[in-house]
Amino acid sequence: MTNKKLQAKDLIHIGIFTAVYFVVFFACGMLGYIPILFILLPVIVPIGTSIPFMLFLTKVKKFGMVTIMAIISGLLMFATGHTWLPIVTATGCGLIADIIFKAGEYKSFKHTVLGYAIFSVWPIGAMLPLWVMRESYLEYIRVSMGQEYTNMILSLTPNWSVFILIGAAFIAGIIGAYFGKAVLKKHFQKAGIA
Amino acid sequence: MQNEMLAATHESYFKIDPRTKLILMFFVNMFAFRGGNIFIMLTIAAIPVILLFAERKIKGAIICAAVYLAAALINEWIVPATHGAANVLVVMISGMFYRLMPGFIMGYYLVVTTTVSEFIAAMERIHISQKILIPLSVMFRFFPTVVQETRSIGDAMRMRGIAAGGSKFWKRPMSMIEYRIVPLMMSTVKIGEELSAASLTRGLGGPQRRTNICKIGFSVHDIVLLSIVMAVLLAYFLFEKGGVSL
Repeated sequence: MTNKKLQAKDLIHIGIFTAVYFVVFFACGMLGYIPILFILLPVIVPIGTSIPFMLFLTKVKKFGMVTIMAIISGLLMFATGHTWLPIVTATGCGLIADIIFKAGEYKSFKHTVLGYAIFSVWPIGAMLPLWVMRESYLEYIRVSMGQEYTNMILSLTPNWSVFILIGAAFIAGIIGAYFGKAVLKKHFQKAGIA
Repeated sequence: MQNEMLAATHESYFKIDPRTKLILMFFVNMFAFRGGNIFIMLTIAAIPVILLFAERKIKGAIICAAVYLAAALINEWIVPATHGAANVLVVMISGMFYRLMPGFIMGYYLVVTTTVSEFIAAMERIHISQKILIPLSVMFRFFPTVVQETRSIGDAMRMRGIAAGGSKFWKRPMSMIEYRIVPLMMSTVKIGEELSAASLTRGLGGPQRRTNICKIGFSVHDIVLLSIVMAVLLAYFLFEKGGVSL
């Protein structure tokens, strides 16, 4: 593996791991239908998806891997009816994370923790309309989910909470990285997969 | 449901271009998720159902139509009449069907009537980079495998008494994630290795531009479908944004 560019084999791996990532992501996202958990999603998702992601990092190790995964995830979010914001946040977070991983040569654990924490922030893009386009988004939720659900959401999301969410997602990303690493060590390295 | 996605087994009865399917998918999802006037919603849901009929998937089409009508009626009449916890519950269930089903039916249609080759041919025609295209098509191929594996792992776990809500679950919730995802990763990595070996043997990623046997192109069918979507789009802006009422 001396070639630095993405080969067909790497692209196939990206596809496989994106599929696993998105299935886990979607399973976590389904918890959002329980009203209180909606707001906790950015914390639950990074911990759940950390295991596939950490394994993914040991598999490809080339610049662009995380960016492509992020773009496809963002497109899928868009295709399942979210706004265009997840595409922007996914591409941005994915690219920054990729640069950080690259700086650590996809080996250094410190870089991995930081990169994964930044990558973990992207699902916030699905919730950003709550703040960025507050009026029209609330109207949209009111139409599709009803007045009472909207009130509950409204009471849970004052303006400053977006920063707390981003911070929470970041911290959850750090926890996720350690958790994923521990699982990797316990199961996959022993089995010779990672 | 077939075992593999994008694995049509016979020539389509009502052939439309994969690009049209994607455009339809995009609009159906967007309208259905945004919600709005019940007539627009029903029109939008009718598109994939009619396509399923045209494809002679009669049973599936009837089930989808019935469930969707029920969800739409509940949404129209029962939701405004309930309050409090009952309201939240009804909205959660009927709202989910009401908004997600058109997209799911469309996705189902796309998947059972398109082959991977057709999909790739269409994507190459609109000049999507190989770097996005290969992962994307692998992913479509892989979703059903992942879901199937998850189901089998869930069964195995239940046999050992490790299920969400069981006594072991509350003692160590984190290990639940581990018990579910680790076996999943083990099996998908193995299947993935085999898949990539298989596709490399067939010349994926080679220096030569690959040829494709599929004939794709727009026909009368596509024009009709796209004009229906345009009409709905126009109606949407007139009724929802323009303030025109029926």
